[in-house]
Amino acid sequence: MSTPKKILVYVDGTEPSITAAQYAICLASFYRADLIALYVVNTKAMEDLLKARIFLQDELMEYEHDMEADAQRYLNYVNELALKKGVTIVPRSRRGSVHKEIVDLINEEEVDLLVIGELARIRSWRDEFYDETERAIRMAPCSVLIAKDEDKVWQMYESLV
Amino acid sequence: MAFIDLVQEKIVRIPLVSTDKAGVLRELVQILKDAGEIEDYDAVFTAIREREEKLSTGLENGIAVPHGKSAAVSRLKLALGIAPEGIDFASIDGQPSRLFFMLVAPPNQSGPHVEALAEIVKLVQSKAFCRALTGSKDAREVVELIRGE
Repeated sequence: MSTPKKILVYVDGTEPSITAAQYAICLASFYRADLIALYVVNTKAMEDLLKARIFLQDELMEYEHDMEADAQRYLNYVNELALKKGVTIVPRSRRGSVHKEIVDLINEEEVDLLVIGELARIRSWRDEFYDETERAIRMAPCSVLIAKDEDKVWQMYESLV
Repeated sequence: MAFIDLVQEKIVRIPLVSTDKAGVLRELVQILKDAGEIEDYDAVFTAIREREEKLSTGLENGIAVPHGKSAAVSRLKLALGIAPEGIDFASIDGQPSRLFFMLVAPPNQSGPHVEALAEIVKLVQSKAFCRALTGSKDAREVVELIRGE
């Protein structure tokens, strides 16, 4: 069985996504794999909110600006986590629909493992009511690892020399 | 955090007691205060009111989505109020609003805020579902409907 050569971790600033980043750093270290961290500024959702008239035009621009800043901040944070463990991370920020950008980057970079944070525990029966992360999992052309148990992952990360 | 995970009985009120727009905004913020979700009522209310003053968040089909950003919260918060009789919320279609989804997010968590708003937009696309929510007898039934239990 071949080991992963290129790992992608999706980071959206939530606690589960930071746990996923810690797991991905451990995997990249174990397997000496390349590691990419991706943040997607969800412009698709913002455009939908503008169409629905929930957002004003200036509000949309304000949120876009905030999300660009969030992207930089969270990518910097996971980069620091990686550097502490001697792992190099390639930070990538993209704009668009989250699941589509994840899948596109997997294809472009020939990623062979996607690491993603734990999904929300409670799900609705409504088909359209699943989130972007779940869509990415369904559509990813590579294997997907869902990082769970924040405490155990943290211990694993901390024990990494 | 997904919108659905924010839905708990303690942040749902049916029926709202307010009869006008200003009262609804105050009541929704008070729901969060009573539920222990926020401490600084004034800061949250100001954020919501200031956004609402730019343009009403009253949409079509009886839905309103007041929202704002405030450093008074550390994570995304939701209050859900239902007024079966309808309240004038200066909505786009001029019709009374019945379902009020209020979201307040910290300034540095715009991503989850945007995604939760987008989820609400999807959720309320079904008029039948909105009618069922409006006809709920209590908060428990509202939560069950949204979670599909």
